[in-house]
Amino acid sequence: MPSRDRVVSDAEFDAEPTHRREVVTAAEQPLLSISDLHKTFGSFAALRGVSFSLAAGERLAFLGPNGAGKTTLIRCLSGLCKPTAGEIQLAGRPIAARGGRDVIGLVPQDIALYSDLTAQENLTAFGRFHGLSGANLRDKVKWSLQWTGLENRAGELVGRFSGGMKRRVNLACGVMHDPQLLMLDEPTVGVDPQSRHKIFAMLDDLSARGTAIVLTTHHLDEAEQRSDRIVIMDHGQVVADGTIGQLIGRTIGNAKIVRLRLSELLSTRIHLGGSEPATIGDIGRDTIETRMNNVSASLPRLLGAVTRHGVEVLDIEVHSPTLHDVFLHLTGHELRDE
Amino acid sequence: MILNVLTVHVRRLIHNRVELLLTFIVPVAFFSVFAVIFAGGVGGGTTPKIKVALVDRSESAFGATLIRSLQNDDSLRIMRDEPPASISTDQAAAWVRSGSITMAIVVQNDRRRTGAAALAVELLADSSDQVATQVVSAVVSQTLGQLSSRQASPPVAGRPARESSPEAEPGFAAESSFAAAGDPQGTSNFDRSPAPRLAINRTADLPPGLLAPRRGQPVATDDRFDAASMVRVVDVLGENKSNPVISMYAAGIAVMFLLFGASGGGGTLLEEKENQTLDRLLSTQMTMDQLILGKWVYLTLLGVVQVTVMFAWAQCAFGVDMLGHFDGFLMMTIVTSAAAASLGLFLATLCKSRGQLNGLSVILILTMSALGGSMVPRYIMSDSLRDAGLWTFNAWALDGYDKIFWRELPVESLAPQMGVLMLSGVALLVAARLLAVRWETQ
Repeated sequence: MPSRDRVVSDAEFDAEPTHRREVVTAAEQPLLSISDLHKTFGSFAALRGVSFSLAAGERLAFLGPNGAGKTTLIRCLSGLCKPTAGEIQLAGRPIAARGGRDVIGLVPQDIALYSDLTAQENLTAFGRFHGLSGANLRDKVKWSLQWTGLENRAGELVGRFSGGMKRRVNLACGVMHDPQLLMLDEPTVGVDPQSRHKIFAMLDDLSARGTAIVLTTHHLDEAEQRSDRIVIMDHGQVVADGTIGQLIGRTIGNAKIVRLRLSELLSTRIHLGGSEPATIGDIGRDTIETRMNNVSASLPRLLGAVTRHGVEVLDIEVHSPTLHDVFLHLTGHELRDE
Repeated sequence: MILNVLTVHVRRLIHNRVELLLTFIVPVAFFSVFAVIFAGGVGGGTTPKIKVALVDRSESAFGATLIRSLQNDDSLRIMRDEPPASISTDQAAAWVRSGSITMAIVVQNDRRRTGAAALAVELLADSSDQVATQVVSAVVSQTLGQLSSRQASPPVAGRPARESSPEAEPGFAAESSFAAAGDPQGTSNFDRSPAPRLAINRTADLPPGLLAPRRGQPVATDDRFDAASMVRVVDVLGENKSNPVISMYAAGIAVMFLLFGASGGGGTLLEEKENQTLDRLLSTQMTMDQLILGKWVYLTLLGVVQVTVMFAWAQCAFGVDMLGHFDGFLMMTIVTSAAAASLGLFLATLCKSRGQLNGLSVILILTMSALGGSMVPRYIMSDSLRDAGLWTFNAWALDGYDKIFWRELPVESLAPQMGVLMLSGVALLVAARLLAVRWETQ
């Protein structure tokens, strides 16, 4: 895990925001509504009071470190796992109702296909499992092969496909029945950037058709670029829920992040001077990181203070807060930490 | 490097309990099972007794004495309570054909001869059980010899006839001790009709435990008495069949591989669980009930085809008459395949991983096959092993096929075998469904 200075606000040193649990309410008639969901396995609580809602056609990304409860939540949403407490409603009906399966599509994290069947045979089989038949099934298989770009490989065994091609068939098998809600668990694990791009292009296509999409991912850029809303989970709880702008504004604020690389390790903290008694920097480090609402006014003050301290500034980095910063702020650790 | 490779594999072995079991415990267990089968078990306490019925049609004192002696013989188990004089030869033959007894010993008069030699003994036999035929022939010949010598020279008071000294009854030992000594010349005197038999002169090849009680025992005779010529083996079952054991082995091998196939097929459930295909399937319109039943139907049909192919080959290559017994064959094959499919699904739902299933199924199926008669005929096993075999699919299935192909009994006679297989199949299928509940609720 990279070393980071404590993040302070800017020269005015605003108080740090505290962790907040927020729920953004979806539309009046949400497609998916989850309230106070609990799931325990023995003494282990995998989900601890998860609540949120999702509007039709919305794209929602779940972020969280391993063990945060994302997969358990997906399993509960897809009816594979019975919650210990709480309620899940899909289109106004409890998800346990059989009809719920008509409107849900699931794309598991693993390649959940029959590797000893061809792409066409897999699509036909899963189409039938989803209740399709006759001309409708044939049309859907044909559409799926075109959608995945595998028309020319339809008769090949899936086991011989590349990872990206398998992922595409994996995705197609989950959407053949035109679900209103598609749930994907880490849909781009282990695929190259080109295949990732193709998969997200396919998801964009589905989204344009009005399919609501829920995905879990470890890729912050995927969540940031490919979703309308982000839900951050940790220890079985939703710790933040909103658009990227909302999350940044409600957690770390919109102040720019400024990072200085120094010519030598600090032997004492740096006094900013002026009327405030504030100091900045950590002893023994050669970087300083701080936050500034007004960079043009505050940065010269900081550079002056560093220079007065007798240390040379080698590099200056200024950037807006990202989802990565929000995630670190909320969970206290990197996304891939165990 | 080589040492490192060695260390890695030793450590992997230590961590893998199934592999440890297969490497060290299973071979020892199988050796023990076969040792018990072929050596009569530790101390010979499990030596098999041959199930016989005694029929006395001689109306003579000597015949009655022979019957009494045979009733007390340790090698025989008398299966019928009726007085031997009240049983007809046809009735006894019918019991042999139905398999309720292994052989019938029919004592009757040979009107061409007089005295002790006037007796004729017919052994009504099932030609597939070559071991029983040889043992009973030896037992009857020996007993005849002993009684004949007693008639000529009464035994010393208080001394059992079997212990008559060779000095007191010289001459007979050379003829009748063949059973113990494996004398091919002596055994070749038996009249074996009507079909050619696997020769009694193979007595020496028999498991030693079967004949051990008589080994080296001196017996009596007199000069006019030829026990060998008085005993005649009559095959009442399989007399017109060219190879009595082919159908039995076809069934034995077919059932063993049916179980392996069903276990492998059931394992697809675990594969689907491991790669999350099961999650995907259960998120569709399909229920776990439908999934399990679908797999069960598939495995059953696959098993039927598998066994049919096996028997079709047996018909083409070895003359097993499958088409001539098609109704019974089909009934037994469907029920056996269905039960095997249930077992495969039960084992799959019982295990947590494919590796665990592979280990468990190999151990279980080989054990069932050994005890159930797929590897060696059950008739050479001890009573306790035969009883243990009744806990296996193999034994019930093979009994059914035996009734169809060997005994040529009507399909109604398959009721016990089909009943047991059906009930156990249903029970295992229900158990598999209940065990699969955990995959729906986790």
